Amino acid sequence: MKKLIYPFVALLVLATSVFAVIKSQDWKIKEGYSIKFDAQNPVGVFTALKGDIRFDEKNLPSSKFDVSIDVASINTGNGMQNTHAKSEKWFDAAKYPTIKFTSEAITKTAKGYQAAGMLEMHGEKKATIIPFTFAKTPSGAVFNGSFEVNRLDFKIGEPGGKSSEVIKLDISVPVSKS
Amino acid sequence: MFKKLLFLSLSAGILAGIAGLIYNRAYHFAMETDFSKVINPASIFAVCIIACVVASIAYWILDRFLKDKTDIIFNILFAIGSFATILSPLSIKLPLDVQNPELFPGLAIPMHFFPVLAWLVLKPLFVKNKYVRIS
Repeated sequence: MKKLIYPFVALLVLATSVFAVIKSQDWKIKEGYSIKFDAQNPVGVFTALKGDIRFDEKNLPSSKFDVSIDVASINTGNGMQNTHAKSEKWFDAAKYPTIKFTSEAITKTAKGYQAAGMLEMHGEKKATIIPFTFAKTPSGAVFNGSFEVNRLDFKIGEPGGKSSEVIKLDISVPVSKS
Repeated sequence: MFKKLLFLSLSAGILAGIAGLIYNRAYHFAMETDFSKVINPASIFAVCIIACVVASIAYWILDRFLKDKTDIIFNILFAIGSFATILSPLSIKLPLDVQNPELFPGLAIPMHFFPVLAWLVLKPLFVKNKYVRIS
């Protein structure tokens, strides 16, 4: 029986280390992130982001983003515009308090990476691709991404008007190992 | 006359600035906001003094033409002008790193009336009122 213990322990250690290699790195979102949007009028930021980020450059299949933005944290720099943006006419923050993105596949591209997944906003879900870069820093890493969404795809606002229908988003998220 | 109006504008500007400073501190304490990137003691005093100097110049110019009716017309114009300026804190776009911009008008709008209040309160000390006698 004793003879079997050592091979069993060795197997266990090997299995655990294989699992450790396969499992992607979990990252914790640090303060200092920025989510800027540009709809020509208005331009602003969302100031509340949370979620789970699992990312490993060497193991993209097991990498995953599951993040959400608090709609009420919108800041355009003007109080009246903030209230208007949160109202039923636009984001309807009371009914749809979060914007969610859940990735389904992360792949490498020529310029970095891209996360294909489902973006949920204003109660509407749309398949969305977010191109991003990943750069390691002394204290962790930074994700940077830029992409565009058409607000009418998510039934936000009316066609035309001062606000551009295509909204440009620039995201920068510093992370640390969790 | 102009010298008296100049002293009036400086005195009123300083008084309005002090009131603005006190209100700024009280608002900051009560609402837990920080608009120091937009409004600071120096800007409060500068704007109040400039507003009162402009008011004095306007009074002096109006007095050239209106004589006895100067006070009535000037007071109305000064009040309307002060009221009109409240559009600027409502429409201003603050830097995006300033939190709670919806609380900014509550700080700035009352301050827009401090120069007119101070100027009208102190005016009798410097310039004799000119009333049109209605009989």
